[in-house]
Amino acid sequence: MSGFKRDWNGNAKKREGPKPPPKKAVVQNQFTPMFETLRDELDQHHDRRERIIKASRDITALSKKIIFALQRIRKIDEELPKNIQAEVDTRLADISKLLATIAPEIQGINRYRYARSLMCLEELVEALTFLHYLKTQTLITPEQLSPIMDELVRKGVTPSEDVAMTDVNEAAAPIPERSEEKEIPRVDLTQDDYLYGVFDLTGEMMRFATTSTALTGTMAGGGAEGDEQPRTIVEDMHELGSFFEMLPVGSGNKFQWEKKLEVTRQSVQKVERLGYDRTIRGSERPKGWIPDLGGGDQPEEE
Amino acid sequence: MPPMIDPTLFDQIKSKIEEDTAVRKELEQIVDELHQHVSFTQGLLSKIHSTPRSKYPTLLPQVEEGIKSQVATVAKLSAYASQFPYYKYNHKWTRPLQDSLSTVLLYSWLSSPSHPLLTPTSISTFYSIPLNLTTTEDKFHLTTEEYLLALISIIDDLSRLAMNSVTLGDTALAVEISTFIKDLHAGFQVLNLKNDILRKRVDSIKYAVKKVEDVVYDLSLRGLIPAAAAGATGEEEKKKE
Repeated sequence: MSGFKRDWNGNAKKREGPKPPPKKAVVQNQFTPMFETLRDELDQHHDRRERIIKASRDITALSKKIIFALQRIRKIDEELPKNIQAEVDTRLADISKLLATIAPEIQGINRYRYARSLMCLEELVEALTFLHYLKTQTLITPEQLSPIMDELVRKGVTPSEDVAMTDVNEAAAPIPERSEEKEIPRVDLTQDDYLYGVFDLTGEMMRFATTSTALTGTMAGGGAEGDEQPRTIVEDMHELGSFFEMLPVGSGNKFQWEKKLEVTRQSVQKVERLGYDRTIRGSERPKGWIPDLGGGDQPEEE
Repeated sequence: MPPMIDPTLFDQIKSKIEEDTAVRKELEQIVDELHQHVSFTQGLLSKIHSTPRSKYPTLLPQVEEGIKSQVATVAKLSAYASQFPYYKYNHKWTRPLQDSLSTVLLYSWLSSPSHPLLTPTSISTFYSIPLNLTTTEDKFHLTTEEYLLALISIIDDLSRLAMNSVTLGDTALAVEISTFIKDLHAGFQVLNLKNDILRKRVDSIKYAVKKVEDVVYDLSLRGLIPAAAAGATGEEEKKKE
């Protein structure tokens, strides 16, 4: 019955010869040029987004590795153990390179455009705040973070400067690069990057407090030996907890905020429980025993 | 020993959050206003489904008034929103803005027998709002996506109008719509789409095309296609072959 087409008036259309080659899927018409322009714009956006997401995923993974390395530390001290410092440095160098590749793509208007593809920055903030806490027992401020971020991007853009120390041939290279330094793009952290990074920091502090207390028998913190009343991580956690409780909830993402705040509350309570345990029966407790707090690491020895 | 948290940090962050909340409130007010004008205009435009083309000269000027109010509100929105990073708050107005664009696109299409399609450039001129800023300038503008999504809305509307125009006895309009939608459909196929909202909406165009094709088929089956339009579509068919 079928086998020939009809036109709109119902007249059969005759087909001569063999079946014509299939028509090109895309018909050209008066709108085609406009859509081609729009396609190019969309493609640019999609390609850029893709590149950012790829780098972001890698930065997230590297940041997590830094955090894992830092969790192997047992006490708060300006000087990190050598092997851990070395690992942190390598990871940061890798992050530098990745940041430098995406930095030009997230300037100006594009910073917020791709904010959701840049979740890695939150993770990086978490790693950097944790590193800062383990060294100084203080919370890093956004003002302190910003030069660190600038430095990371700068190192990624001009890696030869580090090489120059070992490679004599490169000695001349840094001079022309100096002039370019002004153009090095910045990676700005948004307030949300910072705050959500710090929210996650409380979780890391809880894990650190649990492990270090269990394995060393002392509550982390306390600074120098001479301090009269050394501040412990329990107090730091309380302070961070109150800090977040007192902040007004941003109207942008109430749901996420409440979720993170709840997790922070739990972390604070886990650490205060640790403090209590240590006060009440700290001396009786055999070394290596870990209270069952859910988030704790496995003891190293049975 | 330094304190855990820098004493100035709390106030600094608190005031930033409060500032953000205030900006959002202000934006919501303007966007609400835009939404009202858009709804009104959309309501007026919905009358095309029951208004024969001969009555357009009384309907369209009213639509134009509604559009003028929208343009004024968009200007207000643009002035305020340009103070802040565009994509930080863009989600607040992108829907009503798309709806606004689609009323303008539809109005323009209906307003002349030649059925002009406003390009992104011409619509940007119409609103006096810049188009598709992708460089360092961070200001209010119309995005490519917003334009395309608005265009898809009018395709839906026109496919409905194709049916209703037949009911109103204006079969020529149905044929005109069919040509227009088919051409746009072909245009959309030029795009490389990702799995996002645009892709979803573009996928829906084929249903509009089918709906209009069915109408035209019904007409042709009964010989109801006006001679002039038939000639035009006939040529169209020949060109494609």
